[in-house]
Amino acid sequence: MAFFLQLCFDGIALGCIYALIALGFTIIFKASEVINFAQGEFLLVGAYVVAAGYYQWHLNFFVAILVGIIVTALIGILFERTVLRRMIGRPVFAIIMITIGLDTLLIEGVSVIWGTDQRPAAITSGLLDVPKVGDVVFPADHIWAIVVTLVICALLYLFFRFTKYGLAMRATAIDQEAALAMGINIRTVYALAWAIAGAIATIGGVFLAIYGGRSLNPILGSTALLAFPAIILGGLDSVSGAVIGGIIIGLAQGLTRGYEAPFQNIIGTGFDQIAPYILMLIILFIRPYGLFGKRKVERV
Amino acid sequence: MSDPTPDLAPTQTPTGKGNHLLSVEGLTVRFAGVTALSEVSFAVQPGELFAVIGPNGAGKTSLFNVLSRVYQPAAGQITFDGRDLLSLKTHQTSRAGIARTFQNLGQFPHTSVLDYMLLGRHIHMRSGVILGGLFLGQTVKEEKQNRAHCMRLLELLGLERYYKYPLGTLPFGLQKRADLARALAMQPKLLLLDEPVAGMGLEETEDIAAVILDIKEQLSITQILVEHDMAMVMGIADRVMVLDFGRVIAQGLPAEVQANPEVIRAYLGEESGGRTAAGEPAPTDTSH
Amino acid sequence: MSKAHIEGGERGASLAAQALPRFFGTASRRAALGFGVVLLALFLLTGNDLWLSIANYTLIYAIAALGLNVLSGYTGQISLGIAFFMSIGAYTAIWLGGQPVQTPAFIGGKVVVTSLYGLQLPIYVWLPAAGIVAAAAGALIGPTALRLKGFYLGIVSLALVFIGTYIFSDVSSLTLLTGGPQGRSFYTPCNLFTTCDPTTQGNLLFSNNPEVFGLALSRQQVFLVLNFLILAVAALFVGNVMRSRAGRAFQAVRDHEVGAAIMGVNLFQAKMGAFMLSSFLAGISGALLAVYTIHVSPADWSLLLSIQFVAAIIIGGVASIWGSILGAVFIFALPRVIDQLNILPVNGTSTIQSGDISAIIYGLLIVIFLLFEPGGIVGLIRRLQILAQRFNQIRRKGGEPTAISPNSEAESQFEVEQTPLSTGEGTQPLAE
Repeated sequence: MAFFLQLCFDGIALGCIYALIALGFTIIFKASEVINFAQGEFLLVGAYVVAAGYYQWHLNFFVAILVGIIVTALIGILFERTVLRRMIGRPVFAIIMITIGLDTLLIEGVSVIWGTDQRPAAITSGLLDVPKVGDVVFPADHIWAIVVTLVICALLYLFFRFTKYGLAMRATAIDQEAALAMGINIRTVYALAWAIAGAIATIGGVFLAIYGGRSLNPILGSTALLAFPAIILGGLDSVSGAVIGGIIIGLAQGLTRGYEAPFQNIIGTGFDQIAPYILMLIILFIRPYGLFGKRKVERV
Repeated sequence: MSDPTPDLAPTQTPTGKGNHLLSVEGLTVRFAGVTALSEVSFAVQPGELFAVIGPNGAGKTSLFNVLSRVYQPAAGQITFDGRDLLSLKTHQTSRAGIARTFQNLGQFPHTSVLDYMLLGRHIHMRSGVILGGLFLGQTVKEEKQNRAHCMRLLELLGLERYYKYPLGTLPFGLQKRADLARALAMQPKLLLLDEPVAGMGLEETEDIAAVILDIKEQLSITQILVEHDMAMVMGIADRVMVLDFGRVIAQGLPAEVQANPEVIRAYLGEESGGRTAAGEPAPTDTSH
Repeated sequence: MSKAHIEGGERGASLAAQALPRFFGTASRRAALGFGVVLLALFLLTGNDLWLSIANYTLIYAIAALGLNVLSGYTGQISLGIAFFMSIGAYTAIWLGGQPVQTPAFIGGKVVVTSLYGLQLPIYVWLPAAGIVAAAAGALIGPTALRLKGFYLGIVSLALVFIGTYIFSDVSSLTLLTGGPQGRSFYTPCNLFTTCDPTTQGNLLFSNNPEVFGLALSRQQVFLVLNFLILAVAALFVGNVMRSRAGRAFQAVRDHEVGAAIMGVNLFQAKMGAFMLSSFLAGISGALLAVYTIHVSPADWSLLLSIQFVAAIIIGGVASIWGSILGAVFIFALPRVIDQLNILPVNGTSTIQSGDISAIIYGLLIVIFLLFEPGGIVGLIRRLQILAQRFNQIRRKGGEPTAISPNSEAESQFEVEQTPLSTGEGTQPLAE
């Protein structure tokens, strides 16, 4: 029983991290209809910059996070302004590929600047605690991951509901032309979407690096790829779906990792890495647009 | 080889149930909270030139989209050539004998006119991936024959010198004409013409109108015409149906419909495109 | 336009006869073929092992790039799954054609010395089988995958790659074929001429150099001829498909699915056809890669490999046979060439790998090409051709050229090669 609870807790914590990545992705998609394949790499860059800030430039932990957020937000805004602006009207294939191009560049950039060896992830003393309740361990960073995710969700909810820019973003997500006609500055909306996504990715990256053995290496980006099944599960255009999808994926992974041992002889040890994808395939088979996505109406 | 007169007529003579080639009853189409069509009923006789007119947003293209089986109606029955049309999938409508022209033509900008025509011949050709890859006997024969057929069609519409041009490089009027040629290449029993003269000048419009009449008289292909250009429609149509906000507000001979006060009110209520019944150009409106 | 127009039309027939494009009907195509043959001969006779190796890899990868182009370039289906289908082809080949290998393998969580499967059948069995089994895998996966569009399809294909790597690494019954995470060697005791000698660890003439036309050929040279022939046949086949009914349907699906369906194209059949042809080619390529490199492991068939292929067709040119080949040259020959030329800077403690440099280069090129020349290198060449044409027109007429009238050279490119990435259904155009 304790084992099960442990798996659930760990899974939910991981799921919250996936949720953060998926959230950022969905925000970009809703605002500008761009499918940002590089979202995982934003996470990677964010985590590395925070680590660099903390260890190399000896910044305060939270200041380092701020720097990371600024850097990834800037990369996102820059990419949107210089590259994506010129891809308007192009087929989806081209846009996905160009974000894959960005993805490649970001990974290589990180490898070249910081090398491919493992580095320590940025972590602060408050996150080092590993308190126990009975047989279940509640690592502080896991708790904070869950808390921070909830806080971010709450903040975003308030932002979208009650602020001028949040409203503008929602309007743009529903109908770009109408939003433009009402005087909404689409440029700002796009920039905001990418900035928010970058910021969330950085935070997710910090937690993911700590979660995964408190270390960084360029493979982190492909762990973040697991957010894609989360996005698909939740439906491309659903914000709440992204969060729920993330948590489901995290849970699925955690539980699989915990219970796969007896089957090792048949299925080996890596099953938990692909369990999210199999889950995704199963869901897609039943509901092609995800659990919460909406079917688009084709017009001729 | 094949006979000098291209066989453009439908591959089988239509076996309309009773007198109707197409019979639509109680058609209702809804999406995204909008009712595009509401209780639309009409019937089209074989060989007839049936026009559907109405202000912008009246549901005319939605009607075509249902007939092409792109939209699924919320209610209604459609019988085409003795069969239940609603049981067909989109790609089966062409084999059943329905061909359609497109209102907006940005869809195949890189396809050459001839290749586009050959797409129209898709249902009349047979080679698949393997036969095509080997490109032997049957495929070669099929390609030659169908290219010849398409070239003759292009000639009839005065487009033969453009056969290698990508569609996107042609002026809009020529694209529309090529689209019409492509629809004819399908050898349909029923031809759906979606605003075939939109954006054309007077002379081109008259040319196309003559082609449409030729299709009716020479080839006996049934046609449903959706148009804004009132003068053209009233001049050539056998019968007219007027839609407004998805409802049928009038149906009958052109003269009857023109005199119908409901119709006049529907049109006077807004600026519509094309020419008014009196023949004067109205301010153009491109927001369909 | 009078009634008389509807009747008659003898003139059209002669135009039609001209209109059937002959595959080698244009001067540029013939020149390309000639160039290819000359290059091949040169390599054969003078190439050293190193450059022959680069050429061999390029030819093999070009086959898979061609397959990817069929699916993505011509039919518009995003796929990151080509590595998966290559792996299916590779392991089918190994299963049917390989020699059992005694090897320590990490299977089921333990290190075990085991014999890995191999039926030692000749190449004319395992090579086609590799393609066919890969195509069959495509047929199995197609109905689910192809229901989805765009991003969804992309992620599903990505999932395939991961699932494939996992299955070949970890699932115990399969690891007896694949050798688990550290892979295995693919030796085939049967040479090209089907004489099999199980006592040697043969690899398609590895041990005995045959003589052809009085020339003793090395392993590299034999492979060069083999790969070139297979690529040539594949290119011919694909080119034929694209100028026939099926190919037109593929491209219509890419350009406007709904419109294609209205015209009678069965979307599912078309996508399946493209998917299976693409998988077939990928399987052949995977099998050739396995027998050529000898040692393969499941991690070889990675997402990175799939992305490299997508980059290849974008840079070379989507929906273009030459584009597939040029793209393969770029993506796969480039790192090896960089290695040879020793131009890498050393950065602090870790040397930048040629892989890193080329990854940065093609990452940049993906972005640049997609932004400015979505037709890839082939598109660029075509654009230059048109410019040259215009220039000639100006010179000849001494004034403004009239609208581009396609002449036989440049416009015949339109028959098979398109630029589908420059327009299409995409994000909403924004009026600013």
